[in-house]
Amino acid sequence: MADRAFTLIEGGRAWSVADLPDGRTGVINVSQSGVVGVLGAILSGEAWLMRDADGEPPPAGQGKTPYVGLQTSGTTGRPKWVMTTLDTLTAKLKPGSEPARWLLTYNPGSFAGIQVILSAWIGEHTLVVPPYGADVSAMADLAVAEKVTHVSGTPTFWRAFLMALGNRPLDLKSVTLGGEAADQAILDAVAARFPKAAIRHIYATTELGRIFSVSDGRVGFPLEMLKGRLAISEDSTLTVGGVDTGDVVEIVDDRVLFRGRLDAMVNIGGVKVYPETVEAHLLRLPFIQDARVSPKPNPITGHMLIADIVLKDADFPDAMAQIKAHLQALPRAQRPASLRFAEALDIGATGKKSRSL
Amino acid sequence: MTALNLIREELTQILADKGVQIGDITADTPLLNGPLDIDSLDLATLVVILEEKTGLTPFANGFVLFHTAGELAGLFGG
Repeated sequence: MADRAFTLIEGGRAWSVADLPDGRTGVINVSQSGVVGVLGAILSGEAWLMRDADGEPPPAGQGKTPYVGLQTSGTTGRPKWVMTTLDTLTAKLKPGSEPARWLLTYNPGSFAGIQVILSAWIGEHTLVVPPYGADVSAMADLAVAEKVTHVSGTPTFWRAFLMALGNRPLDLKSVTLGGEAADQAILDAVAARFPKAAIRHIYATTELGRIFSVSDGRVGFPLEMLKGRLAISEDSTLTVGGVDTGDVVEIVDDRVLFRGRLDAMVNIGGVKVYPETVEAHLLRLPFIQDARVSPKPNPITGHMLIADIVLKDADFPDAMAQIKAHLQALPRAQRPASLRFAEALDIGATGKKSRSL
Repeated sequence: MTALNLIREELTQILADKGVQIGDITADTPLLNGPLDIDSLDLATLVVILEEKTGLTPFANGFVLFHTAGELAGLFGG
C-alpha cells in the first residue's frame, strides 16, 4: 500500500500515501478531519463519517469490522446512517490507465464524495481537495490552478461551475454528473465547453450504491436498461431490486426520464406537480443559468410554485417576458406564480438544490 | 399603495397575461364567479404576489373566507 502512487493535494500541501495518518478510527467529523482523515479512517476499517458537525451521532453499537458508516444527504428528510464496507464502495471502481487529477466537489463524507476519493485512490491518481465548504468560485479557481482533468459534481454544481470558470483554460478529460437528475441543457453545455471530455451522468443512492451510468449525452436512460433489477412501481417510481428509490420516472419513446422525487411532489389544486420538471423546462431557455422551483403553501390551491432564476447575463433584455411565454407550454398548475431573479442559488453541503420552504 | 390598488394592478396584469377582457375592479367586485374572467389558479397566483409584495401572510394559520376584492384587501392591510 505504501508504494501506491496516490497523491492528495489538500490544505496547501501534497500528501503521499506514506503521510496518511493510520489508526485513526471511530467518529470522524469530516469538516475537521479533511480528506486525509476520511481516507485514513476508511482504510483502518472503523469509520463513522459525520458530514456535518451538528448531525445526528452514529447509532450505538458497532458493525463487524471493517465497516464504513455514512450519512445520507437528507435531501428530503432527516439524514440516516447507512452501513457499508470499503469492498462494497470500491467494487465498481477500476484503476484508470491514464493519469488523472481529480477535483473533489462533494462533501468528503457523502457517498458521492467517497466515490471520488476512492476512485482517485484506486486509480493511483491525484486528488485535489478544496477547503471544506468552499464555494463554487473557489473550486473553479482551484481547478484552473491545479489543472484538474476529472470533475464529478451535481448538475447544480456544473451550472455554477461553468459560469465561475468563464473562458479560463481547463482541459477536462472526464465530466461526471450525479446526485440529481441531469437535464439536457446542462449535458449539452458541458459537452460544448469540454469537447474532449468523456461525459456521463450516474444514478446512485447512498443506500443502494452506484446503480448505472449513462454516457450517450442524452437525459434519462435507454429503455432497454429497464429490466433485471430495474423496474417501475405502481407509483411510477424507479425500483432497484425491489427497493423503491422514490424517483418518479416516465417512459418517453425509447427513453426513461426522471420527473422528480415522489416526496417532492406537490398537489396544486388537485394536480400532481413535480418542481424538478418545471426546473428542467426553465433550463431549456439558453439565457438561464440555473433555476430553483419550490412549493409555497396557498389558501386557494393548497400550494403554488415559485421560481428563483439565475440569468447568465443579468441584463439580458426581455428575460421576464420570454420566460413567461416559455412557461405557457406547461399545464397551468405547473406554471410558477412568481418569478424572482437571483444572483446565485444556495448550494448546500450536499451540492444539491434545497427546495425547502 | 393601498392593498386594493395593489390588487387592482396585479389582477389587471394577470388578466392581461391571459389575454382576456379587463373590467373595472372595485372593493365590491367578487373575485370568483363574478364579472372577472379568473379562476382559482389565477386567484392563488394573486395571493402569492400579494404575500410577496406586502410581506404579510394572512393565511399562515389557515384559510380565511373572502369573496370580494375589498375583503381580500382587508386581509392584506386594507
